[in-house]
Order: sequence, then structure tokens, then C-alpha cells
Amino acid sequence: MSGNLLHRQPILRRPDGVGGALPALTLITLFFVVPVVALLLRSVTEPVPGLQNYATLFGDGTYARVFLNTFLVATVVTAVTVIVAFPVAWMLAIMPPALGSIVFGIIILSMWTNLLTRTYAWMVLLQRTGVINRTLMDIGLISQPLPLINNLTGVTIGMVYIMLPFMILPLVGTLRAIDPMTLRAAALCGASPFDAFRRILLPLSLPGIAAGGLMVFVMSLGYFVTPTLLGGTSNMMLAAMIAQMIQSLLNWGLGSAAAFILLLVTMALYALQLRLVGAKRMTGGI
Amino acid sequence: MKLILTGILAGLLAATAAHADEMVFTSWGGTTQEAQTKSWAAPFEASSGIKVLQDGPTDYGKLKAMVEGGSVAWDVVDVEMDFAIKAAKDGLLEPIDFNVVPKADLDPRFTTEHAVGSFYYSFVLAWNKGAVSGEPAGWADMFDLTKFPGKRTFYKWSAPGVIEIALLADGVPADKLYPLDLDRAFKKLDTIKSEIVWWDSGAQSQQLIASGEAAFGQLWNGRVFALEQEGADVGVSWNQNMTAADVLVIPKGSKNKASAMKFLAAATSPKSQAMFAEASGYAPINTAAKAEMPADVVKSLPDAYVDGQINLDMNYWAENRDKIAERWYAWQAK
Repeated sequence: MSGNLLHRQPILRRPDGVGGALPALTLITLFFVVPVVALLLRSVTEPVPGLQNYATLFGDGTYARVFLNTFLVATVVTAVTVIVAFPVAWMLAIMPPALGSIVFGIIILSMWTNLLTRTYAWMVLLQRTGVINRTLMDIGLISQPLPLINNLTGVTIGMVYIMLPFMILPLVGTLRAIDPMTLRAAALCGASPFDAFRRILLPLSLPGIAAGGLMVFVMSLGYFVTPTLLGGTSNMMLAAMIAQMIQSLLNWGLGSAAAFILLLVTMALYALQLRLVGAKRMTGGI
Repeated sequence: MKLILTGILAGLLAATAAHADEMVFTSWGGTTQEAQTKSWAAPFEASSGIKVLQDGPTDYGKLKAMVEGGSVAWDVVDVEMDFAIKAAKDGLLEPIDFNVVPKADLDPRFTTEHAVGSFYYSFVLAWNKGAVSGEPAGWADMFDLTKFPGKRTFYKWSAPGVIEIALLADGVPADKLYPLDLDRAFKKLDTIKSEIVWWDSGAQSQQLIASGEAAFGQLWNGRVFALEQEGADVGVSWNQNMTAADVLVIPKGSKNKASAMKFLAAATSPKSQAMFAEASGYAPINTAAKAEMPADVVKSLPDAYVDGQINLDMNYWAENRDKIAERWYAWQAK
């Protein structure tokens, strides 16, 4: 029986996609796999063969601080993004479809606007002589400009703004799939709105939060433009440090090692995401 | 493997490489490169028939990648002098052919076997008159938070300048700056660190001062000059101004070396240097250039302020570039 099945498998098999995927696979191999291997090689061969670049990165307080700070920023950005995105996603999920698609369009449109332009816009808003501080000082709420830029506050504001769509989109998918009757049932059973949120809505939306959260976290880890423009040197992130090693110090071995570590961490997080959420649910949710 | 990859990378970079009777000039963009295009490239194209393509900004990592990959897309590059000395040592540069480039009138301070001067400049203390009460008299005032509160802006990258400013402000005599006492410099910088806003491009330094986002800062004199031309309300102190130079180099393996040498000869000629100085506010590196310039322009250049002027030690920096950079970035990230 089993032999028979095995024998028949080729007939039942779906037409394989290898032929059609060939151009994409070649591209990925040429422009991703090969450079990554090269990066790894550079990190263990420059300036001399060995693991000294990794030893420097792990042994030096400065680099450790940059690593830590990178994780801190990514964590803060992810947390704030989840908090800001949830109500928006919920509103989108329960809105009449016509209105919902307009709001959706606005969110998508913001994603299509140039990243640099949006970040510069925040600079204009947040700086000491910027719109926000000027207004607050003019109406007498503050006498000294608030430090909104060149620090963690600036980075968080700028990055949350850019990450929001990546959180909202998967979350809307998950929230839409939740049967509204469950909430009504909770209310009928005497649950307060907060209880219904905490015990019904939140647990059911966790897959969406996890999918969006991990995506935002991973994207934040490698972010360059926004932290560079809105942050200060004392909260430097990994990508900026790598650029510095490559462009200013010309220490490509060390830069490659740092980039490779960033890649490993990212892949580990992705693996975790697959484990937690399941590949199907994740891609289906987006 | 590594070689193949560097080759691919360099090949991609070189996709923009110039054809015969063309060459590529790379500099830092902004008002400075505009002046270089107008004063050097345009007359050179007219007289030689060689087309000069503009690229930029200068990127030391890219330059190294091109040379190592053997596919050099840049023929003449404007770089900081301490980098040029280091890069020559690392074998990244072509030696200059002084049979083509006349050496006699070139300022020997900025001429090496592998580089000729591009222009020289001073770091000066500039401030926004609307944002500062009183007039800062010198570098020490940038460290006086009670007398001069507010944000101050300094050059972000590890380069000659800020360390020396901190040491001078801390009372080190100008002739005792080198070898640099890094511990002392960073200790001094620590006292104002929270009030520092870093600028990483000339345009940004102008924007910070003009808007009052930073009350004062250490700027390139040419950028202050441009602000004054535009009518911005800025003050400037030349007290203990610090000179450093940009130089022109030819990356090793340049495909248009002969054209590049001719370009260097033209760019460093008295006439081209005079034109550039007038357009940019930076000083010429050809000693015969002054004769070609209007008297009021001569008066506005760094060599009109030699009293108390400090020459940043490019050789010291070339020698210690990596060591200082490591500490500099570690301190910044703290």
C-alpha cells in the first residue's frame, strides 16, 4: 500500500515552482547569499585570519554599549508602536468597509512617501527652534525648549511613526478574524469592557501582535537613517556604528563582524517568530 | 572568494567610470564642489577638451573598495590631508607626476609625493548673533556654560580640530599641543558634552548656526563666509583659528591618469586657485594666486589671520589617525 502510494506520488505532485523561481533565486544568491558569505569571510580574515574582530566586539565596553542600546531602542520602539497601533487597528477592523479603506489608503500612502523626507520633517518639528517647541513657548507652557531631538525621545518618535503601518497591517488581519460575538458573549456574562479586552480580545490578537511586533523589532535593529538624524552620538545604534567602521575607520574586518552579528540576531529572531506564530499564520496575517 | 566579491562590488561602482577623454572628479558636494566645478573643471574642459564628470561625496570606504577591487571609477578625489598621508602609506594612491604638475609655486605645507593641495581652510568660532548675548572671544568661551549657555556645535568625525580646541581651552599653549594629551582633551570635552550638537556636513553646520538651533560652533571659514554672503546674522572670531587642508589625490589604478595629472596642473594653477578662493572663501595653495585676486578677497582669507593662527599637525594625525579615532568614537558613544 505504502509502496503503491510512493510510486504514485509524482503524478499527484503539484507542478514544481523551481523553474519559475529561478530568476529570483539567482538574484538572491548573487546579491544576498554571496555577499553574506563574503562578509563572514572578511570578518575572520581581516586584518589577519582569526576571531580577533569578534573578540574586540564582545570584549570592548563601547561596542557592548552600542549593542545594548540597539536592543533598548528596538524594544522601546516596538512597545510604543504596539500601544499606538492597537486602537487604530481595532478601529479599522470594526469600521464600515468603505470608510476603512480610506483610512487604510492614508496609512499605505504614508509608507510610500520617501523615508528621508519624513525624517527631515520630524527634524523640523522636533528641534529646539522647531514648530513644537516654538508653539509651546509662545503659548507659555514652557520657558525652555524641550529636548525632543538628538536623544532617545527623538529616535522613538521618528521610528514609531515609520513602523506604525508594519504593526497595523498584520494586526488588522488578526482582529478582523476575531468573531465579534465573543465580545458580546463576554459582556452578557457580566465582563466589564476592560475585562473583555484583557481576557478575550488581547489573547485572541496575540498572534497579530507577535507577528507585527517581531517585524517592527527586527526592522528597528538595523535602522540607520532615522536614528542617525534624530538621535545623538550617545545613543548610537549598530547600523550607524557599522557605517562608521566601514567609512571612517576603514576597518572592514570589524565592520563585517558587527554586520554579521546583526544578521545572526535577526535570523534567530525570525526563527523564533516562525516557531511562535507559525509561518503560515504569519504570512497569512500580513 | 573575497577577491571575486570585491571585484563585483568594484565593477558595480565602476559602471559610472569615464570613457576616453573624460575623467571623474569627486569632492564633498555643496557650495564647495560648486565652486570647484566653476573655477577648475569648466576652464579645464574648455582648454583641454577633456570632459570632467562630477561625482561625490568623497567616501573613503568607497575609495578603498575601488582600489582593492582594481576597478577605479574616480580619477581625482578631494580628501582631507591626514587621510591622504595615511592612504599613500597604505598604497591607495598614485604618485603625482611633477613633470606635468608645476611644483614651484605650490605651498610646500600641502604638497607631498602623492598629493597636491586643493585649498586650505581655517576652523573658526562662529555664532548666531540672535542666540548669543555678548561676543565669544575664543575657544575657551565655548566651554563656559555659565557665561555662554546654549547648544554648541562641533565637527562629528574624528579629525584634526576638536581635540586641539579642547586643549587650548584648557590652557595648553599653542606650541605645546602635540603630542595630543587625549585624556586631558576628553576630560575637558566631558564638561560640555551634554550641550554639544554634532554636525557631519558643512551644510548642516550652516543650518544649525543660521537657525539658532546651535548658538555657536566650530565651523569651516568658507561656510561662515557663505552664510555672511547670504546675509545671515552671524558673528565670527578668528582668534586661534586652526588651519587644515584638503588635498587632491589620484586613486591607484585610475583609468585616466594622464588626464587626471593635467587636471591637477590646471586646478592648482594661480588663476584657478584665485577663482576658487573668491568663490568659496577658502585660501589658495598656490603662493602666486594672491596676485590674481582682488584685495578685499585676500583680506577675508585665512592667511589674513596668521596672528595666533595654529597649523593643525597633519603628519601627527596621519600617524595616529586610527588610535585617536577609536577613542573618539568610544567617547562619543558613551
